[in-house]
Amino acid sequence: MTKTPLLEIEDLHAGVCDREIIKGFNLTVNEGEVHAIMGPNGAGKSTLSNIICGKPGYEITSGSIRFKGKDLTAMSPEERAREGIFLCMQYPVEIPGVPTTTFLKHAVNAIRKHQELPELDTMEFVKLVREEGKKLGIDNEMIKRPVNVGFSGGEKKRLETLQMSILKPALSILDEADSGLDIDALKVVADGVNALRDGKRSMLVITHYQRLLNYVVPDFVHVYADGRIVKSGDKSLALELEEKGYAEFVKEK
Amino acid sequence: MAGLLQNIKLFGEYIPWFQSLREKGLAAFEKQGVPTAKTEAWKYTKPRDLNADDFVIEPSNFLDELRAETEDACGCHHEDCGCGEEGECHCHHEDGECHGGGHCREHELNLDYGVPFDAYQIHFVNGKFIPVFPALPRGVEVITLMEAVLIEEAKEHLGRLVNLDEHPFAALNTHYMEEGVYIRVGKDVKLDKPLMIVNHTDAGGSNLFFNLRNLIVLESGAEAELVEWYKYAGPQKSRYFANIVNEIVLGKGAKLNHNKLQDEAFKANHVSLSVVRQKADSQYNNFCLQKGANIGRNEIRVRLAAENARCSVDTAYIMSGWATLDTTTNIEHLSPCTYSSQLAKGVVGGDARGVFQGKIHIAPDAVKTEGTQLHKALLLSDAAEVDVKPELEIFADDVKCSHGAASGELDEQQLFYMRSRGIGLEEARQILIDAYLEDVVSKVENEQIRAWMKSFVRQSEEQ
Repeated sequence: MTKTPLLEIEDLHAGVCDREIIKGFNLTVNEGEVHAIMGPNGAGKSTLSNIICGKPGYEITSGSIRFKGKDLTAMSPEERAREGIFLCMQYPVEIPGVPTTTFLKHAVNAIRKHQELPELDTMEFVKLVREEGKKLGIDNEMIKRPVNVGFSGGEKKRLETLQMSILKPALSILDEADSGLDIDALKVVADGVNALRDGKRSMLVITHYQRLLNYVVPDFVHVYADGRIVKSGDKSLALELEEKGYAEFVKEK
Repeated sequence: MAGLLQNIKLFGEYIPWFQSLREKGLAAFEKQGVPTAKTEAWKYTKPRDLNADDFVIEPSNFLDELRAETEDACGCHHEDCGCGEEGECHCHHEDGECHGGGHCREHELNLDYGVPFDAYQIHFVNGKFIPVFPALPRGVEVITLMEAVLIEEAKEHLGRLVNLDEHPFAALNTHYMEEGVYIRVGKDVKLDKPLMIVNHTDAGGSNLFFNLRNLIVLESGAEAELVEWYKYAGPQKSRYFANIVNEIVLGKGAKLNHNKLQDEAFKANHVSLSVVRQKADSQYNNFCLQKGANIGRNEIRVRLAAENARCSVDTAYIMSGWATLDTTTNIEHLSPCTYSSQLAKGVVGGDARGVFQGKIHIAPDAVKTEGTQLHKALLLSDAAEVDVKPELEIFADDVKCSHGAASGELDEQQLFYMRSRGIGLEEARQILIDAYLEDVVSKVENEQIRAWMKSFVRQSEEQ
């Protein structure tokens, strides 16, 4: 069976302010696959996820990124999101004064509009959020509060997961999704992520530790060091890394 | 100055006290002239277009209107509106007497000027009163300023609150006093719905200059909500000059919520002064949203003249292009135990300039008073500017007084977070601007008026 590529990154060189952070990165994620990218601190993992999502301030010097066959680098962040890329952020941003429900409703309807689906009315929206929120232990009180303001680390990650559940992206990028989570919160988030695995949606799990990969089991594991992938393998590579550390791979370059 | 001082026939010149007031206005204006960039009170809001010499002042047709009214026994103004309807009177009759408030059928039908909630409506077109009076409950009176002058009801208060030597445009307004309304809410009367004064300007290319003068008196224990709406009806590029003065007197324990929406055309000039005098235990809450005009100045002067009088003066402004929107306040604490709070928030884009001049004066014996003031602005472009001049004049001990100012830009992280969820850049900016103005718009107590104001915040962002 031929696989359909979803995300194709070829020989990507990119950085910030003349400093090259990504140095010849190659990766293809096909539909339905879960890839883990593991690497030491400072390897440029967050830069990679930010570049895929189009965060302003980064410069691509060469190489290409394609999503569903389209050139991603020409798209604005919102266009990428509407095409189906979702970044589950390591440090979700607080937005004082904007109720979480307002934010979620704008997001859902922006994406539905792009998909040429009718916008959800208030009743339909409330129903959707209530159903998905329940699975993640998010109550009505929480979503009435301003976006992420005063949320604990666990609450922030659960809200990220809720957004992923209702926006249903084709590609979810989880950037250190487990940081700051206790084991119970981690399970809740992992359940939310796994619920989206339907053989068609793909995931890019960027992580420092192997811990999350016990719950979100990857099809492929890549070791990322100094701006490129230095080794790829299956899920056993993650265990090997956990045992030996990154030192050996960092040397390999 | 030829443009602003013209020899036109005004109604009521034969009334000595009134005419002498007008003459004082003229003298005060001639002495001061149109402010220049060197005038301290106007140093940030360059008067540029305000001293142009091509403004046109239309003589009022007040005399004719009054004649029509006296000929029609019940005051229905059927002739005025030209509907030709006869006999059917919709006036408010009580005890066999006509209390006015009449409007004929056609007016009734045409009176939907987009007022979005139930209100007692008073309409002006290009600064001229539309002779249709709302059917008011007992104890509330709305008549034209000129009628109030004729029956001497206005004599006690008119011109008493405005210091003509400090406000050149108010002096000019006093010189031209003619159009406007007198509103009186009687002792302990609580008005059940807002009173709304709408001025529709459809001046086309006529460079119109008009003056409105309103006198609002709330007797002791009275409560009311007033909404002023300056609304543009014609092409946005038309230029005109609206010069407004409101004199407001609050009796003991009276409460007035005074809301204003300034939504003039982009090339218009709008200069407004509201002067308020408060007696003991009275409450005055002012909120203004300024979003139109080329030069827009909203000046509020409050005299807290007796114990336990309190006021809040809050404003939101939202602008772009080349506009200058100015909020100038002067809160005078003249008695012990008086309270004031001010919150001003602006969103400034393009080459626009926001101005906030806020003064709190605490008189020597006004102990135990509290005055707070905060101005914040969001700058959307590099060329946008805000000028802030807080002034505290404190002559008493044992007072609490504070002021603060801050300006910032839209947060890039917040914008990216929303965009990464599919929300477009413009929509994301709008959400943040809404959130920025949320706390000041929330000061509007009446839910319907608040929702209405919010809808105009959104419209400006879409422009």
